[in-house]
Amino acid sequence: MDPKPVLPDYFSNCTHCGFCLAVCPTYNLTGDENNSPRGRLRLWSEEAAGRLTQDEWTDFYTAECVGCLACETACPANVPYGELFEHTRHDHVAAGRFKPALALRVAAAAVGRPAWFNLALLPARLLRRLGLPLHRFLFKGRPAVLQSTADYTRKLMQRYRPTGPRVAFLTGCLMEAAFREINFATVRVLIENNVQVIIPDDQTCCGAFQEHTGLEGVDALRDQNRRAFLPLDVDAVVSNSSGCGYALGKSLAPDKPVRDVLDFLGELGPVRRERHGSTARLYVDLPCHLVHGQKLAGIPSKVLDATGHRWEFAPNARDCCGSGGVYNIQKPENAHAILASKSAFLNEAEGIPVILGTSNHVCMMQWHSAGASGLVVRPYEVKHIIQLLDPGVDFDI
Amino acid sequence: MNKSALSTQLKRLLPRGRVLDSPAQLAGYASDALGYKSYQPDAVVIPADAEELVGFMKGARQLGVPVILRGAGTSLSGGPVAAQGGVIVHTSGLKRIREINVEGFWCEVECGVGLNALDAELKPHGVFYPPDPSSGPVCTLGGNVASNAGGAHCFRYGVTSNYVLGVEVILLDGSVHRFGGPAGGRGPWREDWKRFMIGSEGTLGAFTRFWLRLLPLPEKVWTFRATYPDLRSIEAAIHALVAHSSYPAAIELLDPRGVAMVESSQMAVGLPKGSFMLLTEIDGPAALVNARVEPVAQALRQAGSSDVVFSDEDAMRQKLWKARKAAGGLLGQLSPDYVVQDAVIPKSALAEVLQLVYDEADAAGIRAVNIFHAGDGNLHPNFLFDSRVPGDLEKVEIISERLMRRVIEVGGTLSGEHGIGNDKAAYMPLVFGPDSMRLQWAVPAAFNPSHQLNPLKVFGNRRFAA
Repeated sequence: MDPKPVLPDYFSNCTHCGFCLAVCPTYNLTGDENNSPRGRLRLWSEEAAGRLTQDEWTDFYTAECVGCLACETACPANVPYGELFEHTRHDHVAAGRFKPALALRVAAAAVGRPAWFNLALLPARLLRRLGLPLHRFLFKGRPAVLQSTADYTRKLMQRYRPTGPRVAFLTGCLMEAAFREINFATVRVLIENNVQVIIPDDQTCCGAFQEHTGLEGVDALRDQNRRAFLPLDVDAVVSNSSGCGYALGKSLAPDKPVRDVLDFLGELGPVRRERHGSTARLYVDLPCHLVHGQKLAGIPSKVLDATGHRWEFAPNARDCCGSGGVYNIQKPENAHAILASKSAFLNEAEGIPVILGTSNHVCMMQWHSAGASGLVVRPYEVKHIIQLLDPGVDFDI
Repeated sequence: MNKSALSTQLKRLLPRGRVLDSPAQLAGYASDALGYKSYQPDAVVIPADAEELVGFMKGARQLGVPVILRGAGTSLSGGPVAAQGGVIVHTSGLKRIREINVEGFWCEVECGVGLNALDAELKPHGVFYPPDPSSGPVCTLGGNVASNAGGAHCFRYGVTSNYVLGVEVILLDGSVHRFGGPAGGRGPWREDWKRFMIGSEGTLGAFTRFWLRLLPLPEKVWTFRATYPDLRSIEAAIHALVAHSSYPAAIELLDPRGVAMVESSQMAVGLPKGSFMLLTEIDGPAALVNARVEPVAQALRQAGSSDVVFSDEDAMRQKLWKARKAAGGLLGQLSPDYVVQDAVIPKSALAEVLQLVYDEADAAGIRAVNIFHAGDGNLHPNFLFDSRVPGDLEKVEIISERLMRRVIEVGGTLSGEHGIGNDKAAYMPLVFGPDSMRLQWAVPAAFNPSHQLNPLKVFGNRRFAA
């Protein structure tokens, strides 16, 4: 007998076993059943069945969800919680039951126009380049202020002429506009490993921003990315942000899989960086949208070994850091409390320097804020793992 | 007391905790893991800590409504639900592990501590707490003690009552009592009374904390899984293991529907389609246990398996156990609603009673899935249905009653570990005669004379009269 849902609607799969409660950051924070996946599913299904009228508390508990998807990994019944949540959040925003902050609404409108977005965030790139602290989320880095990743890639491709697998690279919106140095490092690492990199010019935001906020526009972005990526003759589409990769994967499914760049490199066995005599220690945190969204086992140990650093996983590495895309902007108090327990170990962690490594820029922003907001009182660096494989700017010359 | 006055009163009793009273806030508390039975409470309270729970209990009698204690709501018997309305007390705020005494092999925990969370804290100390209900990732010690939870490893290690050294309980008059303690029966406490508390299903008082007995972690563990083509051969394997000199810690069975669901979930472990799976484990000193690996594998093969896999690697072992323990949730792949029975039968009747489960279910057009603790004869037949289809539940109830009557005829009993709750209260008179029922009733009547605590549970007519 092939197990199949006997009922057509999604809600039917939940048997209330409660396995999702244990892994839910907001249930652990509040101890309130309604603030858990099982509780939210019941609220949504009761309302859908007409047994519960619209209630501000349903709106509240829906908005409380981080969207980390740890519940999907824990769920034996395969309830597609993320899809249901995304659908409900969109409905709530459309019906005016939840209103994202003005800054997020403006940003949502801008991310679909990469040229505008890049221009708008030019001051952020400049200040980061000059090393001027601007905001608790802006981690250290030296992005190119004017040169785009696409230009940079073309230049390196002409210089090195790699002959290996061809990949199309999603440069992202916020990643490109604010944290472009990570894209540059990604391109250097790929090319050093003999990978041919193509940057589709007409690509756009992956749509994760709209998914996180519930705002309109995701369908247009998905369509545009399908037009940009699907016709390409490439071995893989890669992303260096687990959240963006997960969102783009949904857009291109089932025609083209989207690979996380670290997972892709794990298969190649990337060039190793040697760090003789280093006293640094790398603590690896796994983004939710890598392990629960894309459902990867993690970041391959071959890749982590190739960083040349002595590494270990951060405590509770598969649990959410509280970033949740824009959750730390929408629900800063919850995000701070979630981060507080995640980041406490850094105060005692061994290593000079201590490096917190992950593979999603929004998680990096959240981890950086642990220092800026006083949760971590000793110096530490936040890095994308790809930056730790980087041959460095000398590669350009 | 109307709802608004009740909320006002509750907010007074819980200045630091939370009071939930809007319909949407109550919806999540309408059922436990037995999702198809819903009862709307009048309010839910989440005390901030043990001190606040004591304060609440002191004032609870004046509320004039039923009071229901709830851990994580993973009960499968309709235990922590507001069957007669009232206030649900969610103990999620009481999650401190107060002490781990490695030398004395005991720990002191609050009632809201999660079972696996406790085990994770104990492991670095080289000790463990043996009861292991499948809901371990989320269930609380409070719920475990209230239902005298068992689990896969209780075949050799025993159930919760074997590991509770002491219980602190608050009665509805606000008095705080301690029965037993870290010294077990050797201290000044009236330790024998703690036995009344274990398995009392929230009908006697509110637990705040427990002293639990720990054991040293076994030096070596081997986990085996074997698949069988039919019920007859897996039954032979069970009998062989029960009598085996290696004395397994656990003997578990998944039937082919259970196997199919595991394989179509994220917990897939590569089991052949259509097979019955047996999961067993041996543990102890390395030299001793290693010497027993081949004899156990041989016993599994001799019973008729050509597919025996065993491992001492933690990752592999955990994967197998995860597949087994996700059973309740896995059923959601097939059906939104199910009733799970918890009967315990003599092992000699195993094949006959299992066949009865399949035959009755097939005749009624209801799907049955068997995933259970085979070693100690603790059956968990799951009857799948759709509560929105008229007549489905009634069919399941008829099958359940026929099954229960047969269980009792072969010398079995009603519940091994899930508790009676309100789901099995109707079967109590099938097992217990009037004299026995009178004696059992006397216990809640002594501790909780007005039956304000968790009414309509265990005894179907135990009702609170304000």
